[in-house]
Amino acid sequence: MNLYSTIMKKAPFTIDNATYAQLLKGLNEMFLSEKKGNSNDFRLYFDDLWLSDTAVIDDVHKSKGEWVVDLVFASIHNPLKFIRRFIVSHPCPKRAAQKAHFMRRLAAKDQRGTLEVTIEQLNLCQN
Amino acid sequence: MYNTKQKILNSSIQLFNQNGVDAVRLQQIAEDTGISVGNLAYHFKNKDAIVESVYEYIFEEFSAILREYAVSTAMTSFDAQLSSYYDFFDKYQFYIADFFKTNNTLNEHQQIWQGYVTKMLIQIKSRIDYLVLNQDFIPEPMSGLYQQVAENIWTNLIFYIQKCRMQGITPTEMQYKLAIWNQLRPYFTESGLAEFNQLILPIFSY
Repeated sequence: MNLYSTIMKKAPFTIDNATYAQLLKGLNEMFLSEKKGNSNDFRLYFDDLWLSDTAVIDDVHKSKGEWVVDLVFASIHNPLKFIRRFIVSHPCPKRAAQKAHFMRRLAAKDQRGTLEVTIEQLNLCQN
Repeated sequence: MYNTKQKILNSSIQLFNQNGVDAVRLQQIAEDTGISVGNLAYHFKNKDAIVESVYEYIFEEFSAILREYAVSTAMTSFDAQLSSYYDFFDKYQFYIADFFKTNNTLNEHQQIWQGYVTKMLIQIKSRIDYLVLNQDFIPEPMSGLYQQVAENIWTNLIFYIQKCRMQGITPTEMQYKLAIWNQLRPYFTESGLAEFNQLILPIFSY
């Protein structure tokens, strides 16, 4: 037997039985973890859907010695449904106002044009 | 479209099945393929070369069946794999008969084959483990039982067709598959049985 045929006769790659069993076990666990999910796993997505119909209002106020920028997202259908989120704080009021301006513009971007809420929608009772 | 080489392999497999590997001559293979012996010699140097190629072909096909495990562990996938096993063992009976001829040491092919069938057994055990994990199967009533069940199924998978021929019955794929499923049936939980009735039983009803 010459050198060439010795090299060509190299045994094919094999794994032992214990490793193979372990491999299949891993596959089993993978199949189990890839089970179909429940539709209410997406609840959080539907819960937050109203946020796409909100007007954005910027609010700059002083807190703990700094100027804090908050954004208020109010539903255009019912402005009393809103959330307030802290964005950034700055020691300089002008800088804070500038940041509020830009952050509001960024958050209020919408294909339908900027959505707004008016005071009339609140249905205030003057009595 | 088959090329000549493939045609030769197909008729060899057929002749091996009918007459056994040793009894087939090159002349027969050439006649069955519809080519001259000279042409046959052009494609394969000698009979050993043909046998070698046939074995390679068989191993390739069997690994394809084993690979089906990676697709899914669901019951329907096991059923599909059973069909593949039936086709395989029906087509290559001569191969098993080959094992009974000699009692001395296994040759190279038989050693490779041994590796494959061991993997097959491990797969069956692994499928049972999955069914237990998925609560389709009751937890193992006594240790080692499911290993025994897996080995029985494995024996059935390989020798069922031979057994039928010995009894003078012509085996069908449905009988083959039902024999395997019935072996698993006592171990189903309620939910497993419900899934079985919904997914697997309809296959046998027509």
